[in-house]
Amino acid sequence: MSTWLQLTVSGLSLGTIYALIALGFVVIYRASAVFNFAHGELLAFGAFAMISLCGAGLPWGVALAAALVATGLLAAAVERLVLRPMIGRPVFVTIIVTIFVGSVLRSVIFIAWGPQTRGMPTPWDPLTTVDVAGASLLMNSVAALGAGAAALAAFFLLVRRTKLGVAMRATASDQETALALGIPVGRVFAATWFLAGLFAALAGIFLGMFPRNVDTNLGFVALRAFPAVIVGGLDSAWGTVLAGVLLGVLEVLCQGYVNPYLGEFGRNFHAVFPYVVMILFLIVKPHGLFGTREVERV
Amino acid sequence: MLKVSNLEVVYHQVVLVLKGVTLHVPRGETVALLGPNGAGKTTTLRAITGLLDIHDGRITKGHVRFDGREVAEQKADSIVGGGLAQVMEGRRVLVELSVEENLLAGAWAVSRREAAEGLERAYERFGILADRRRQQAGYLSGGEQQMLAIARALMSRPRLLLLDEPSLGLAPRIVGEVADLIRSLADDGLSILLVEQNAAMALSVASRASILENGRVVHEGTAEELADDEDVREFYLGLGGDGQTDYRRIKHYRRRRRWLS
Repeated sequence: MSTWLQLTVSGLSLGTIYALIALGFVVIYRASAVFNFAHGELLAFGAFAMISLCGAGLPWGVALAAALVATGLLAAAVERLVLRPMIGRPVFVTIIVTIFVGSVLRSVIFIAWGPQTRGMPTPWDPLTTVDVAGASLLMNSVAALGAGAAALAAFFLLVRRTKLGVAMRATASDQETALALGIPVGRVFAATWFLAGLFAALAGIFLGMFPRNVDTNLGFVALRAFPAVIVGGLDSAWGTVLAGVLLGVLEVLCQGYVNPYLGEFGRNFHAVFPYVVMILFLIVKPHGLFGTREVERV
Repeated sequence: MLKVSNLEVVYHQVVLVLKGVTLHVPRGETVALLGPNGAGKTTTLRAITGLLDIHDGRITKGHVRFDGREVAEQKADSIVGGGLAQVMEGRRVLVELSVEENLLAGAWAVSRREAAEGLERAYERFGILADRRRQQAGYLSGGEQQMLAIARALMSRPRLLLLDEPSLGLAPRIVGEVADLIRSLADDGLSILLVEQNAAMALSVASRASILENGRVVHEGTAEELADDEDVREFYLGLGGDGQTDYRRIKHYRRRRRWLS
C-alpha cells in the first residue's frame, strides 16, 4: 500500500512537470502553429538561471520568480526576433528554425555554465520527507506537485476568465478575425511565448530538484514530455495536461512494478514506456484524447 | 467621416488590384459599395482596416483618412481602437468560443466596464444571442452567426462600421432581417460602409452607392439614381429596361456596359 502511494505521488509530480512542459508546446502550437523544438533549452535555461540567482544570494522565492520571468522574457524575445519575421513561411521552415534556436541556446548554456552537474538549491533539506498515510514522500516531489498544480490552475483561470485569455483563444482560433477585431495579435503571441517560457522554467527547476540533477542535457527531458502532447491531442490544452499527468504516473508505476520483471532488459524500460503508449495512440486514435473534432453545423 | 482617395493596392508586389479607388462615407450615412466578384471590394476594406499585410498586399498610392486622420499605414488594432470596426466576409465567428466569449473578443479596445455595458446592449438588441450566450458559437445558424458577427463588431463602440457581404449565403427572409438591422443601426447614428453583391438589398438600405469594377469606381450616385440607372438595373438588379430580360439579344452579344467604353 505505502509503496503504491509513494510511487503514485512521485508519478503525479513527474506527471505535473510533464504537463507543464507539454502545455508550453501546446499553447505555442495553438497560437502560432509552430512546434517549438527549443522548448527544452528554455527549460534548461530556467533551471540554470535559478541556480545562479540562488548562488548570488537572493532569497529562494525571489530567485524563483526572477528565474521564471527571465525565461519568459527569453522566450518572448525568441518569438519576436526569430519567429515573427518567419510569419507566412512554410511550417517546415519555422520548425527547422526552432531547432536552430535550440542548438544555439544549448551552446550558450554550455558556455555560460559549463559541463559540470549541479544540484538545484531548495529551501528545505533535499532529503526531507513528509509522512502521509504511512508512506513517506519526498518533500521535493510534493512541492513539485503543488507548484505545478497551482501553475496549471492559474493558467486555466487566465484562459477562461480574463481578457487576455479570450484574446489568446481568439487568436488561436482565427488569426485574421482576431486582427480585424482589434486584438493586437503580435502582443498576444509575445504573451503566449512568455507563458510557455514561464512553464518551461518552472518545470526545469522542479525537475532539477527531484528526479535528477541539473546539467546541460536537462533540455532533452522536454522530449520525454512529447508523448503527452500527442496522447492529449496537439491542440488541446486540457488533453495534454491530463495526458502528461497520466503518463507521469504510468512511467513511475512502470518503473516500480514492470521493470523488475524484465531483468537486464528492463533497467530503463520506464523511460521508453510513454513512447510505447504514444505509438499505441497514434495507431488507434491519432488525434489524441481530445484533439480537434471539427465543429460541424448541420 | 471616411475618405478614401486614389487608392492603389498591389498584392505580392505584382498584382495591381485597386487602380485608384475614391470613396466617401459622410457622417451618419450608409454607403453601399457594389461590384462583381474580384472587383476589389474586399481589398478596399482590407486597405481601410489594416489587414493587407497578412495577405502580402501593400498600399502603393493614395490615402485613407478617417476623421481627417491618415490610417493607411496604421496597425489593425489601433484602427479599431480609433472607432472603425468591420464584419468580415463569411461572418468568421470563432467557432470554439461561446457566444459571450465571441462578443468579449470584440471588446479588446474598450475598458472592462464598457465591455460589460456592451454585452448588455448586444443582448438587448439581439435577443437570440442572450438565449444562447453559453453555447458554442459554431452551432448557431447562419443568420444567428451573422447577427453575432455584427454584435461583436459593435462591442468596440465604433463610429463607422464596415460590413462585407452580410447577406452572403442567407435565406431571403434572413436577408430582410439583416437589412432591417442595418437600417436601425444607421438610425442610431452609425456610419456604415456596406459591401454587397446583393445590389437590391444594398440599394434598399443605403443612401449612396459606388460601383466598383476591375479595381476602379465606375459609377457613383445616390441610391435612387443608381436604382433607376438602366445599366445598374440590367447588370446588378437583373431587370431589363421593361422589367424583363430579353434573353434572345443576350445570346447574340453581351451589351457593353456604357461606363467602361
